[in-house]
Amino acid sequence: MALTILLIDTDAERAGALEDKLSQSGFARVLRAEGPDLATAVEQAKPDLIIVDMALPDRDALEDIRAVSGASPVVMFAGTDDPEFAQEAIAAGVCSYNLSGVALQDVRPILASAVALFQRYRHVETELATAKALLNERRLIERAKAILMKNRKMSEPEAYRWLQKRAMNESRKLAQVVADFVAEEENPRRESKP
Amino acid sequence: MSDILALKSVRSGPRLRIGFLRLTDSAPAIVAQEFGYFAEEGVDAELLEEPSWANIADKLAYGFLDAAVIVPPLVFAVELGTRGISQRLVIPCNISQGGNTVTLAPVLARRIQEKAEKEGFSVPHALAAGLSGDQPLALGVVHAYSTHNLLLRYWLATAGLHAGRDVRLSVVPPARAVEALASGQIAGFCAGAPWGEIAVRQGVGINVASSDDIWRTAPEKAFAVRESWAQDHPDSLKGAVRALVRAGQFCDAPENASYTAALLSRQKYLGVDSHAILSSLPGGAIAPDNLSRFFRGAATFPWRSHALWFLEQMARWDLIGNIDAQGLAARVYRSDLYRAAVAPLGISVPLADSKAEGAHDSPWQLDAAPKSIAMSRDRFCDGAIFNVVPAPASF
Repeated sequence: MALTILLIDTDAERAGALEDKLSQSGFARVLRAEGPDLATAVEQAKPDLIIVDMALPDRDALEDIRAVSGASPVVMFAGTDDPEFAQEAIAAGVCSYNLSGVALQDVRPILASAVALFQRYRHVETELATAKALLNERRLIERAKAILMKNRKMSEPEAYRWLQKRAMNESRKLAQVVADFVAEEENPRRESKP
Repeated sequence: MSDILALKSVRSGPRLRIGFLRLTDSAPAIVAQEFGYFAEEGVDAELLEEPSWANIADKLAYGFLDAAVIVPPLVFAVELGTRGISQRLVIPCNISQGGNTVTLAPVLARRIQEKAEKEGFSVPHALAAGLSGDQPLALGVVHAYSTHNLLLRYWLATAGLHAGRDVRLSVVPPARAVEALASGQIAGFCAGAPWGEIAVRQGVGINVASSDDIWRTAPEKAFAVRESWAQDHPDSLKGAVRALVRAGQFCDAPENASYTAALLSRQKYLGVDSHAILSSLPGGAIAPDNLSRFFRGAATFPWRSHALWFLEQMARWDLIGNIDAQGLAARVYRSDLYRAAVAPLGISVPLADSKAEGAHDSPWQLDAAPKSIAMSRDRFCDGAIFNVVPAPASF
């Protein structure tokens, strides 16, 4: 049985990866859609299953798909009898609509692939964000140390300890203290804090 | 900055994850968070901006959100499992009244306004008279289970126009409505502020009607909470309601309009021009053509008669089947929770749970304790009166 799957994802790379994977399996015909008029795209493709990126506001348009798909009811997450699976999908940021009422066991491998792929991409995104934050933190600490060494004639270890102590006294994270300190020092119009 | 961070660390109580959309009437939740009302009431609130109503509904249903600022018909859809799995939700307070516009492409809007003026027609009658017939007019609403869908259908029906036959209604999420109008995908839309005003400012739309023109003082957003969360954390729930009611008072005070608009315009909230937000806030415009209300006229009270009106209209347009509307309205619209929560605030609270909707042509006084509440006129555009069997008040 070949299923028609409509894939709606703004991340072209992720969509491409999923399309490849599903097409290779041979049991699915994958179409991609994007842009404002999803209702028309659904009308033309007549998919059995829609897989959609939850970050899209356009998902609201899919809620009223009954208007275009005729009598068949829209089933969300293609199998609401498995809430854990649906939770996993939501956490990964993907949602599915089963338009033709295909049984869960038939679409499950497809959805599992989508969830796994979304999870992987999310993981990469999170790692990237963490790395960026860490890099920025390091940069700010270096900057704060340089300010202290220049203005207050501290040594590098003294400057670092000074910042650590301030963070401890204010029971705040070092990163926050450093960010505020650098902002204060570099913006002379602002009054310095006691 | 450091003071705010320090304040956050002393908050206690269970985490309350509240979903919202980029809309002007998310204001009370944003104000309650940013001005520390939630914290003062002992609620550890977290605001989560969601891109779509569908996300709000799914995340409520599967427990990724505890609460949301939401359109009430969608609450019933989630309760009934009409879309996705069902989840028990309660509405312990209302958030806003009014605030939606019917916005049409400029050429169409001018033609209709001229016709209405010349022939003495109402706007929907002028719209009906101007339809060509070969191509149904395409209008956008923000979600199938939205107040917008119900209000627009109600308004069109007063001129004999029916969605599906004379007008093609399609779902266009609010943040996409302006783009869809500009590109010609739709000829107009009904959406919440600030999107109508943004269309006007971009020169791609004209507001031909607002919520007030369809139903004066029409209920708009409500605060919905997962019933299980409300049961597990009764004190925090009361605190959250108090914080939102206090924030509603703030948002309703004309002198606060520019503060509220500036706060909402931040990138992490609406991320749009603060002047577009300002125009529909109380006190934000000298002659507003669209207005949200957040406190006055018992705007925060969860009226059971509002619930029943929504359910009647949902049934009218086949959005729900045959259900026990009275039972569902009483289960979801929890005036008892509202009364218990706001008691320490000393504000006036309505004595009844329902009122006759659309029965007042002029300002009137609502029976309330400790003293009556000044109400404004509340007519429907067709002059109908929606009167439910009066239910005994539950205290």
